[in-house]
Amino acid sequence: MLRKKQVLCGILAVIMGVSMTGCGSSGEKSETEKKADEVKASGGEEMIVLRILENDTAKSEGYLDELLEAFNKEYEGQIQAVDANMEEYSNLAENGPYGYGPDVIYQANDKLMTYAEDKHILALNKEDYDCREYIPQEAWDAFTMTIDGTQYLCGIPVNVQEPMLFYRKDLLPENWEQEWDQDGNQVPDFLENWNDLYAYSKSIVEESGNSKWGLVAPCNDLYMSAGFLFSYGAYVFGEDTKDIGLAAGDAATGMMALRQFAGIMNEECIDDSIKQSRYSKVADGTYFCSISTPDTYVLFHDRLAKIYEEEGISQAEADQKAAENIGMVELPRLLPAKGDLSVPSADMEEKEWVSNVVMGGVNGYGISAYTKHREACVTFVNFATGYDLVKKRAEILGIAPTRSDVASDIGGVSGMIFESLNEGHIYLMPSVKAVDQIWDPMQTLLSDVAKDAFRERNGETVKYPDQDAMQAALEKVSKNIYDAIYTLAQ
Amino acid sequence: MKKRKLPFWCSCVVMGSGQLMYRQWIKGLLYLGCLALYLYYLFTSGITDIIGFFTLGTVEGDPWLGIQGDDSILMLLRGIMALLVTAGAVGLHILNIRDVAAMEDALAREKTLPGFREIMRRFVDRKFYVVALFLPIVGVLIFNVLPILFMTLIAFTNYGGDIVPPKLVDWIGFDNFRRIFQLSEVKSTFLRILGWNLLWAFTATFLSYFGGLLLALLLNKKCVRGKAFWRAFPIIAYAVPGFITLLGFKFMFSYGGPINHYITAAGGNAIGFLDIDAGWKARLIGLLVNTWISVPTSMLLATGMLSNMRADLYEAASLDGAGRWKQFTKLTLPFVIFSTTPTLITSFVGNFNNFGVFYFLRGGLYLDGYFLASDTDLLINWLYNLSIDNNYYGIGAAVSLIIFVITSIFSLYAYVNSSAFKKEDTYR
Repeated sequence: MLRKKQVLCGILAVIMGVSMTGCGSSGEKSETEKKADEVKASGGEEMIVLRILENDTAKSEGYLDELLEAFNKEYEGQIQAVDANMEEYSNLAENGPYGYGPDVIYQANDKLMTYAEDKHILALNKEDYDCREYIPQEAWDAFTMTIDGTQYLCGIPVNVQEPMLFYRKDLLPENWEQEWDQDGNQVPDFLENWNDLYAYSKSIVEESGNSKWGLVAPCNDLYMSAGFLFSYGAYVFGEDTKDIGLAAGDAATGMMALRQFAGIMNEECIDDSIKQSRYSKVADGTYFCSISTPDTYVLFHDRLAKIYEEEGISQAEADQKAAENIGMVELPRLLPAKGDLSVPSADMEEKEWVSNVVMGGVNGYGISAYTKHREACVTFVNFATGYDLVKKRAEILGIAPTRSDVASDIGGVSGMIFESLNEGHIYLMPSVKAVDQIWDPMQTLLSDVAKDAFRERNGETVKYPDQDAMQAALEKVSKNIYDAIYTLAQ
Repeated sequence: MKKRKLPFWCSCVVMGSGQLMYRQWIKGLLYLGCLALYLYYLFTSGITDIIGFFTLGTVEGDPWLGIQGDDSILMLLRGIMALLVTAGAVGLHILNIRDVAAMEDALAREKTLPGFREIMRRFVDRKFYVVALFLPIVGVLIFNVLPILFMTLIAFTNYGGDIVPPKLVDWIGFDNFRRIFQLSEVKSTFLRILGWNLLWAFTATFLSYFGGLLLALLLNKKCVRGKAFWRAFPIIAYAVPGFITLLGFKFMFSYGGPINHYITAAGGNAIGFLDIDAGWKARLIGLLVNTWISVPTSMLLATGMLSNMRADLYEAASLDGAGRWKQFTKLTLPFVIFSTTPTLITSFVGNFNNFGVFYFLRGGLYLDGYFLASDTDLLINWLYNLSIDNNYYGIGAAVSLIIFVITSIFSLYAYVNSSAFKKEDTYR
């Protein structure tokens, strides 16, 4: 018995010893360290290795490889840029201080500036970057913050995003040039103003007997629906985050317009269903159009191409036909000032319109405050924001660049989005941490507003019968956001 | 109190010195070595860590200026470690004193002391459980106790919101608890969610337990053909990961899902099963979905229990004139409940803290009358909203402590009053 116990003790001791080896410093080296060793071994004593965190699309579409290859070729023997191999939204605030974060990080302005607030990314000198002359001030503003009265730039803008309207060109009415192009500018009126889009959508629903729809969009998504607020004078934060302006101006008017439009969509606009189904339902013609971000173009295209393939044409032909028939344009530029979408556009005077202002975001590069190679990071960001690389990025990923020279050279939708940013049609997501608190309360309200249209249709009691009720709801949601930011804050 | 000799008092001051004075060289040196190690640790980082535990840092970091500053959270963690190590050292010191006292007593009785090998042999023989449990206990201390202590202490700090490193965190006593119970919005949300949470936990546990039992009884019937085949279905439902099932149900009940598709195809209006107005509809769907997910577990458990039931008991009951319902309530149910009380309690606690159901079915809604929550959220979902979505870690930790207290009280009360505890020997 004693012998057995001694043997058991021996086994336990071995297990303990083996397990304790895990507590010591690991002999394994990270990819970055290995790379640095390789470089040193090849004689490059001064070689610097930078870890670059790019977004998943840039990786999957091969842009990151091209960027790294081009940079490493340019700075051979001096700086080596490698993929940080981290999750796209890995938290710099948690990893950076302990040496695990990336050196250069590419993210949207709201995410990047959240890091900036706590100084996890460096303040940058605009003069160090060659792109400075080509980027509009609005884009720079998205990466600028003020501390004690001094402005600091914390990111270099690369591309801008806004919600886009995806529609089927082949489903345009045959007589659209006669019926739906009153100004004769060769662009259907329902792609230019919301009243005509409402009228056209309504006609589709009525003619199909509620089996087809015009526009069906995720009404509960603030990013997609924000035009109905910002176009009417609302804003997210004013002077500071205590000034919440979602109920400001004629925001209630805009929300009533959204409610009105939701009434001719189907119920998928209330919850997240539409976010899954929009690609296939635009492709099969159930919906004439929907709203999404530019990076989802490929999903609309592929679904339509698949349908064409199923009809018996080759893959190449299907791809080409889908590319011809999927249209991606900005949201209609004009909204009715009084919020009544049912008024025929022909009866509206110019002063009765308001310009549509959508919510957008700017993606860009930031440099980790924990990097050991600040100068090398600046060199990398300068290289990555140069004309050639931004153009390549736009070509591979279909993004809209913030560089005016690239935008004008490639034109099309990218140029259009750039112009919108330049002209103030895009309200950029505020670059503060508190912006995280707006999404869920606003999603709830927007969902409720969209649902209200169906309450009315189904003969149930409505919650927002008039603008006063809508205004009260907007004020309440603003207060909820304020509470979420401040009630529990120390 | 016995009158002790000099080695005893020496050991009280310097660990191991008494053993050395009794010529127990190896043991004495081991104790002395431990003391030296502890002192080394104390003076190199222990004292700083213990002071840091109380201050949680004094220098705020500024990465732009290259000021590293203090990391309050790391200091809290290191402080807990230092206190645990100190507690361990105090424990070892007490052992050392008791060891010297035992040596004195042994010398008074036997005039000689055994050698180190003999002591170790005796120790392994008599205190084998200590040797066997040492490693698991160290593991439990590091991987269970330390994080629990850490989370508990977070509830007494202002960690969260804008106060995240590099900003310095501070101790605020019971302020987080006070705010939960004093701020009207927070308090009313807490009470409303707690009420629903209790109802949910009881109902969900009842449905899954008795659903599983009834299914097991049904499939145990002799008249049921192809039992293995029918039993496989719940197992398949069990084998599918819970969140996949939940996302599947969410899709089924969504506006674009198949249920609404058939309703509208039949000429009806689409129903918002899980939307903002859903209320009790969504709660009921949550209960049914949870039953779907959890019934297979209790069915398997009950099937095992039922296979141990003695058939002669039923025969005797039948001869005594007991009907099927009587047999169920007087024989089957007491036996199954007796054997599964601990599982029932685990199931209750699991359901009380069932995060997934409403997170996946109806997450992201903040409704009127609730502070950062919806009418289907459980306390655990609210805790998530507070601590992860809104970064209020301190408040979140305070809510988790309250959840811990509630579930502990219910679990202990249920267990202490159960037959499994009161009549432990009944079925032996």
